Amino acid sequence: MAEIEIKSEIAGKVWLIEAEVGQAVEEEDAVIILESMKMEIPVVAPVSGKITEILVEKDEAVAEGQTVARMEG
Amino acid sequence: MGWKDHIQEHERRIAKARAMGSPKRLAERAEAGILNARQRIEALLDPDSFHETGLFAVSRRPGMEDKSPADGVVDGYGRIDGREVVVCAQDFTTLGSSSAINNSNKSMKMWRTAEKNGVPFVYLSECSGARIPDIMGAVGMGSVGEGFIFSRRRLVPWADAVLGMSFGGGTWVASVSDFVVMRKGAVMAVTSPRVNTVAISEQIDPEEMGGWRVQTEITGKADLAVDSDEEALQAIRDYLSYLPSNCEELPPLADVPAGSGDDANRILDLVPEERRRTYDVRKVINLIVDRDSMFPIKERFGRSLVTCFARIQGRTVGIIANNPMFKGGALDVDSCDKATSFIASCDSFNVPIIFLADVPGFLIGVEGEHKKVPGKIMNFMQALELATVPVLSVVMRKSYGQAYINMGGGRSSEMACWFTADISFVDPAVAASIVTGLDPKAEPERFAAAVDEYSLGCSPYDLAGQYLAHDVIDPRDTRQWLARMLEAHQPRRTGGLGAHHMQSWPFTY
Repeated sequence: MAEIEIKSEIAGKVWLIEAEVGQAVEEEDAVIILESMKMEIPVVAPVSGKITEILVEKDEAVAEGQTVARMEG
Repeated sequence: MGWKDHIQEHERRIAKARAMGSPKRLAERAEAGILNARQRIEALLDPDSFHETGLFAVSRRPGMEDKSPADGVVDGYGRIDGREVVVCAQDFTTLGSSSAINNSNKSMKMWRTAEKNGVPFVYLSECSGARIPDIMGAVGMGSVGEGFIFSRRRLVPWADAVLGMSFGGGTWVASVSDFVVMRKGAVMAVTSPRVNTVAISEQIDPEEMGGWRVQTEITGKADLAVDSDEEALQAIRDYLSYLPSNCEELPPLADVPAGSGDDANRILDLVPEERRRTYDVRKVINLIVDRDSMFPIKERFGRSLVTCFARIQGRTVGIIANNPMFKGGALDVDSCDKATSFIASCDSFNVPIIFLADVPGFLIGVEGEHKKVPGKIMNFMQALELATVPVLSVVMRKSYGQAYINMGGGRSSEMACWFTADISFVDPAVAASIVTGLDPKAEPERFAAAVDEYSLGCSPYDLAGQYLAHDVIDPRDTRQWLARMLEAHQPRRTGGLGAHHMQSWPFTY
């Protein structure tokens, strides 16, 4: 099991945190939902695995490329 | 020497050439579940359709004749789904299938033959790079400089499977191919990590340099990555099933699978009416096209845009669709490059193009500008305006600004809007902020009034009313509309053939 960083592809503000630590996720499942470009844009799991850490809070500003969560996959 | 001796000697030579490299290397591959060059050809082609050519070629270097069966590349003619193809498979067990005079002459002869005869060219890459010492010295290098060819036009489809370490020649061919599939674990790069280490003292992990994640996600040079040789070869068969054998033919018609289009009503469940909400456009495409006919191209690269081949009523189409699930569907540098190369490919092989637009605009910002985004946007526009195949566009929800034009706005053979379409320069809330300078939190009512003002005149009926779109449709009728428009816009005067203005465009952007 490798530790994998879940990064935002886009700058925005955290609108919803969809996954919890310990939760199993499939590739492309939404982990965080950002508000950006007047839309609700998901940050998705790059692979299937388990969430190990959520690194952002609701309403926090996120930069492009920022790690928002970690997972094992 | 009697006939019997001739026959025995002939059969001995055939067996030796077909045996490829050392038994030890062949056994190691078999142990690892990796096919050898001849097994790959067998897995690729229709049963018993392969006819080899160049079997007796060996290295031109004196003393190397016995160590270079077929000079490290297995070439020939075969059939895929009953259609003729030309195939070259690099045999890594023979001198790493390194590039030398006869090894390369064989491949070049095959690619010229494929183009001359109008049949697809399939290359199976696994190559250690240039052969040292053959290529050393003035005469070695000079011979390559004089004799080798590197340019191609999109006359016939080229498909490449990168199935192992692939440097130099194996990568050059992949780099000018229309479709590239990689087996996970394979590497595609200019030169091997060892040469890199010697030349620039850099210790390199081959996967990090040119593994499947790099090539499918960062560079987009590979269209697909799969787990096994067999899957890669099946992907080439599938890819070619969408395309004609050459640019002067039409793509083959396929049977329409039972149940195609039956779930069209589910589009309304998949696409949120509220434009803030996102969805996965690939699910929408699956409902529109013939059942199980969607074949993604560069699915992991530039993911805010989907490019795929598919079929509608058995006809091949190339679909370009914004995917709001990634970056809200905004077009960025990678997705513009992806659109440009896909349009060039479709137009070269007489494949009608379908745009499905739901785009908030271009992803603007410092990074995009540093990566030449204006040039990328205009490359995309150049490709679109030079295309001579039918172009159909559907505006699904929002379509704003220059991105509206890039997604076929005003440049389509036929354009329809879903009744949910929303067309303008920018999102009304953005326009309200820019023009009024109001803070929505401080003055919510005034801001909302400004948003309402800029939301006026953005409807599909406003567009169609001025005949700037040709129709407004129910989303559930999309498949039906596209099927009928593909028939209506078939270019009958040319027998369906386009002018192929992008035939000689580059293969990497």
